[in-house]
Amino acid sequence: MQTKSILKAIFTLVILSTFLLQACGGQPATPEPTQPPAPAATQPPAEPQQPSQPASTEPPAPSGVERKGVLRVATQPLVQVDPATISSDPEVFAANHIYDYLVDVTPQNTIAPRLAKSWTVSEDGLVYTFQLEEGVTFHDGTPFTAKDVVWTFDRLRNPDSGYPTADLYANIESIEASGDLEVTFKLKQSNPFFLFDLSDNHALILKENTADPTQFNGTGPFKVVEYSPEDRLILQANEAYFVEGQPKLEGVEILFFADQTAMVDALRGGQVDLVMALSTDLYSSLKNESGITLLDAPTNQFDVVRLRSDRAPGNDPRVMQALKLGLDRQAIYQLVMAGFGRIGRDSPIGPMYAAYYSEETPLPIRDVEAAKKLLAEAGYPNGLKIDLHTPDTGDRPELAVVLKNQWADIGVDVNVMVEPESVYYGDNGWLEVDLGITGWGSRPYPQFYLDVMLKCNAKWNESHFCDEEFDQLATTAGTTLDEAERVAAYKAIQKLLIERGPIIVPYFYTQLAAIRSTFQGFVLKSFAGRSDLRPVSFVE
Amino acid sequence: MSFEADVRRPGGSVDGQPPSTPTQPTIQIAGWTRVGIFVRALCSKPASALGFVIFVLFLVLAIFGPFIAPYGVNEQIASEAGQPPSARHWFGTDNLGRDVFSRIVLGAREILSLAGFGTVIAVFFGTTLGLAVGYIGGWFDEILMRIFDGLLAMPLLLLALLLLGTLGPSKNSVLLVIIIVYTPIVSRVVRSVVLSVRQRGFIEAARLRGESLPYILFREILPSVLPALAVEAALRFSYAIFLVASLGFLGVGVQPPSPDWGLMVREARNNVNQMPWAMYYPAAAIAVIVIGVNLLADGIKRVLLETK
Repeated sequence: MQTKSILKAIFTLVILSTFLLQACGGQPATPEPTQPPAPAATQPPAEPQQPSQPASTEPPAPSGVERKGVLRVATQPLVQVDPATISSDPEVFAANHIYDYLVDVTPQNTIAPRLAKSWTVSEDGLVYTFQLEEGVTFHDGTPFTAKDVVWTFDRLRNPDSGYPTADLYANIESIEASGDLEVTFKLKQSNPFFLFDLSDNHALILKENTADPTQFNGTGPFKVVEYSPEDRLILQANEAYFVEGQPKLEGVEILFFADQTAMVDALRGGQVDLVMALSTDLYSSLKNESGITLLDAPTNQFDVVRLRSDRAPGNDPRVMQALKLGLDRQAIYQLVMAGFGRIGRDSPIGPMYAAYYSEETPLPIRDVEAAKKLLAEAGYPNGLKIDLHTPDTGDRPELAVVLKNQWADIGVDVNVMVEPESVYYGDNGWLEVDLGITGWGSRPYPQFYLDVMLKCNAKWNESHFCDEEFDQLATTAGTTLDEAERVAAYKAIQKLLIERGPIIVPYFYTQLAAIRSTFQGFVLKSFAGRSDLRPVSFVE
Repeated sequence: MSFEADVRRPGGSVDGQPPSTPTQPTIQIAGWTRVGIFVRALCSKPASALGFVIFVLFLVLAIFGPFIAPYGVNEQIASEAGQPPSARHWFGTDNLGRDVFSRIVLGAREILSLAGFGTVIAVFFGTTLGLAVGYIGGWFDEILMRIFDGLLAMPLLLLALLLLGTLGPSKNSVLLVIIIVYTPIVSRVVRSVVLSVRQRGFIEAARLRGESLPYILFREILPSVLPALAVEAALRFSYAIFLVASLGFLGVGVQPPSPDWGLMVREARNNVNQMPWAMYYPAAAIAVIVIGVNLLADGIKRVLLETK
């Protein structure tokens, strides 16, 4: 009897441990975020602390800049710290303050100098020459030169690296250090958005021949004092920073939280000073809180409802027209966005793109009878039954429920299928389904969406859309050096997409954040991670 | 255990004499009177009475829900989204402008039918298998029980998640999960009772009479199992409600816009600061019905013990 029960226990253990192992997904066990013990004890051997000079040995800034205040930011924990592989808001946010970009994108979506103080572009748009800032040093004391820029971008564009930037920079013919502080980029084809590409989230300048890019050796406004994964990242002002009078803060502490509600509670309780990427609910709950300033920034981030246009029922454009006529866009905006953000116009070219954005073509207004008639003409006189696939993140399940309700009126019976993102995007299922909702992130310029989402042979052409006129317009917009021609092409594209496009863009999101009012000068960016703390100052 | 053996003797089940006292009913009494007596015995304790009332209340909601609910299940009133409880919307509205009270009322049918059907089918399979393995024994018993041990070794919710991960989320998958998860449990309970009964004289007698296997299983052994089975079924039912709600909350169960209470909690969670009522009422509904059915199950157990 006893052996029997022992055998049973072992059997149970084996089965349980199998499942536990699967659940862990092979990830290393991570420590719980706790109060910081002695820094030396928390440093895992795999990631030793950057051997930067201790603050005490460094003389105070000779410029006489008075830095004061430590800003505490609550974010999700960092997973990646190598600039080439970072992607999330907090990862980019940390990197943006430890390293510098060659050029920066302003909150108004224009290009600003950073490590490159000026640049010239050749007539044909193929050669970019950058003059770099003088007297810049890395945190380890070595001087910054053109070679560091060359090394950084060669690393990022290496097709064998597997870095997400390899595709982005495939158009670069060569990069040369044409002087100590001068870099020349030669392109294969002209690219009017090349400066935006150079300010890609990953394009942070590292020291030439950096052996371990996770060691935080940047030129940026803050130095890493302590990094304890899953717990906190402590930054201290870089006294030798090349921008006069910046940073204005003494330090920045990035504290890691797993849960946004906890972040907001910490903000309320005075343990942190800045929370970004807030949900509308948490944002609204802070409205009457004294001493806290609420911030919002329009973004180009949107959800797209797309119908496959290469097979039934979507291969008849009248079906999509009927679906569009069935929408009450104002109600969707009110219900799903709770009045935040902007109503979309069925094209990825959003209001943030200023001159490129157009409201010339009117959107179809809800007309149930006309929609039913179109469906009947398309061969569905008794309506249509269709599955709507959506990831379970963000506001997408809610959008699906509202769509189901509105389309029921025009005789379209929608079966909502809410799936985890791993299922929706896994095995490229999202490229297969007929009707789906996909979230697209914010990009600094609209050409990206056209090239990867809507062109005939686009990599992520989820709607399998193929339209000759559209392709021509998109190619023109993406290559011409004549700004007026590009604006005209984008306008034509927006008209075309409203009239016969395979996508519905119901809304654009807003980026929301809250900061303690004692900090001034913080400007929230569309991509929260690129928000800049350099000009932020502490006021008593 | 002796009375079941006496009353269920073939040919012996005639309502001969009336019950001597209401508290000591015997099984010979005709159907409806029996139910009445049972209910009266059940309601003699306040806790059981409460459980019974809660259950009946939700049953009424499930059956007559569409006549009670003031709004449609997916009726979205954009201009009234996120309103607190009021005379117009008793439990307020959610962020999509849906009446929370109506959705809870209409969700009762969903959750009771899903948990109810699942439990009934699981009890049917569990009883059949339990009777068979308990009576036949041997290798059949060993193999099946080890398989069930393996299934039971896993936490129920984990097993349910694994199954749903393979089947894909839908109403039918949830039903199937309830059946797969609860059949082993029910069959083990039944089997343990069968093991204690099968050596009894009346079984031996039936075998010697040359009765068929199904006859012995269902006419001779089953009556002995019924009291334990009734309690087990009631408990399973309450856990099934919990399971359906949990799966809905985890987003792998019933799909939106179904008014599943667990799903409602999940959907309202994102806006809990602005409209807490949209989350608290469905959560309370789950709690109330699970507690109610548990009290009811306790009551059934008590009455059955008392009658013995």
